[in-house]
Amino acid sequence: MPSEARIRSLPTGAAQASPGPARREPEPSVATLRIEGVRKSYGIGTPVETEVLHGIDLVLERGEFAALIGPSGSGKTTLLNLVGLLDQPGAGRLFIAGQEAGALSELEATRLRGRAIGFIFQYHHLLPAFTALENVMMPMLASRGRVDTAMRDAAALLLDKVGLSPWRDHRTSDISGGQQQRVAIARALAMRPALVLADEPSGNLDTENADAVFDLMRSVNQADGTTFLIVTHDPRLARRCDRIVELVDGRIVSDARNHDVVRRG
Amino acid sequence: MNPFAFFEWIVAVRFMREGLTQTLLIVFGVALGAGVIIFMSALLAGMQANIVRRTLNYQAPISILPPDQVARPLREGDAAETAAQVQPRSQQLRSVDQWQKVRGQVVQLPDVIGATPIVAGPGFAVRGDATKSVTITGIEPETYFDVIALQEKIVAGRQGVGPLDIIIGTELAKDLGAGVGDKLRLATAGTTASTFTVTGIFDFGNKGVNGRNVYVAFRSAQSLLDLPGGASSLEVKVRDPFAAETVAQQIRAGTDLKVDSWVRTNAQFFSAMAAQILANTLIRVFVGLTVALGIASVLVVSVVQKSKEIGILRAMGTSRSQVLRLFLIQGGVMALVGSLIGALLAWGFLLLWRGVAKNPDGTPLFIVVIEPSLFAIACVAATLVGILAAVVPARRAAKLDPAVAIRG
Repeated sequence: MPSEARIRSLPTGAAQASPGPARREPEPSVATLRIEGVRKSYGIGTPVETEVLHGIDLVLERGEFAALIGPSGSGKTTLLNLVGLLDQPGAGRLFIAGQEAGALSELEATRLRGRAIGFIFQYHHLLPAFTALENVMMPMLASRGRVDTAMRDAAALLLDKVGLSPWRDHRTSDISGGQQQRVAIARALAMRPALVLADEPSGNLDTENADAVFDLMRSVNQADGTTFLIVTHDPRLARRCDRIVELVDGRIVSDARNHDVVRRG
Repeated sequence: MNPFAFFEWIVAVRFMREGLTQTLLIVFGVALGAGVIIFMSALLAGMQANIVRRTLNYQAPISILPPDQVARPLREGDAAETAAQVQPRSQQLRSVDQWQKVRGQVVQLPDVIGATPIVAGPGFAVRGDATKSVTITGIEPETYFDVIALQEKIVAGRQGVGPLDIIIGTELAKDLGAGVGDKLRLATAGTTASTFTVTGIFDFGNKGVNGRNVYVAFRSAQSLLDLPGGASSLEVKVRDPFAAETVAQQIRAGTDLKVDSWVRTNAQFFSAMAAQILANTLIRVFVGLTVALGIASVLVVSVVQKSKEIGILRAMGTSRSQVLRLFLIQGGVMALVGSLIGALLAWGFLLLWRGVAKNPDGTPLFIVVIEPSLFAIACVAATLVGILAAVVPARRAAKLDPAVAIRG
């Protein structure tokens, strides 16, 4: 199991492997994520039109490790989809690494998503037709269009860092749930994103594996300064984050640093 | 650059491998469809070529004849008066006016391979007590053989035609009991008659032609048929027999002579052939449609089955156009592989056909040419159909909302 000490700096999949222009690092003053008055409704124009997010404001600075908590139906996944540029807000503005998402075309938003955002899902969502190594390569392959040796090396290094080198050529269906989620983490980090969005990353794992996955994300955050926004129902894991944002009925009802939470607790 | 290293190609191939049963089923379907189309097309082309070859064995694609003689009633007085009844004129054997000059002009046409004068008219072949009605054809062997391959049809004797030589068909030889070296007398309806020596016997594979046609020297026929210095028609060979009518129209435009193409004179045959081509085309279209629908339906199912994977790929930064391409590739690859297998099947069946479909004498029923271009065209067309069939499912995949797709 990889420890925090072991993972000092993950390979820079895109930056190392590609001789092309390196990803522009956000300047210290530019927040990794800035959300201003974001609203989202479903069933627009129908009798059942429902607003699920009522003007969300949120800023995540570079290197933050934040938990997004809240009861089911509070709008966490909707917010995550908006931040991940998988959906568009009805109103408000959203900036990823200083770039306003609303001003981007669909293709530009897709490219920004591939370049700047990594996804970790509850059910790993690996591609079953591919090996662990190929799954990790996939974001780089989609971005650059064709396989090269550097890409393969970067993916192998990532798998090594999450302790899965022996399983690199195994189909993802042949490895355990915890290992699958670690492959998913390696895949999310392949493009060295500024922001990683994790939707219940340990929700499908036992406590031991959940802790291991959490430790892995934490070590990546500390080693590379990658910003994490983690949706979780597990208060134990939420308390281990630097910051806890609580969403209830589409509104942020609390946004506190970890020590505040501990003090309140 | 390795084309198989591209993202779309890699994902497309893996998706197909993952749904191997579906992929194999549709590849098999395409193979059957392509195989049937290729086999049918080759067979039909062989049949048509065979019929055309047999017909043009003894008939030139174009015949240039003197214009028909028509009765012109004399009109007197008021021009509005018309004859109540005009008796059609009987047609006499006449020469093509200035046939040497016409021939010189015709052979200059780019689509014309050769032109030869003939003198042809009715007569009787008499040997002993036997008399048969024949068509006497006077030929110039040096040019006639370029137009009609009579020399290839000689089954006994030789092909040369001297002033007193005659070449007859197998049927007439049997009817008259004549063989090579025997004498027979040719007589016309007039008083002219000559005795000729049988120097060759031909077989065109057509009983009527073998029993009716006799070939003598050009000048001998001119004397027999009372057409000194004349040619009753010019027989013209063209590069593309199916373009004969077009060439005939060109000749018609430059002269007032009567120009018949075999397309016109065999209108019924061409009508039957057109019906056959239409039926074959319809079958090809419907087989193609079935194949296209098969590919489309498999890919539609694949899009539904793979919607989560598509959503994940989209979340990882895969563009809509990349998703579109990877499904188009699947359609194209399944169709290409299927058509290649179909081409192999068709090739095997055509070889089998060659071995099995034979006349009682062991000769092929008809020659089926295995044309590589037909196979190539069929494979390219099938691949295009596969890609086109994949357009709808590919667009559907590209339009998937990634958030919804991932949620399932």
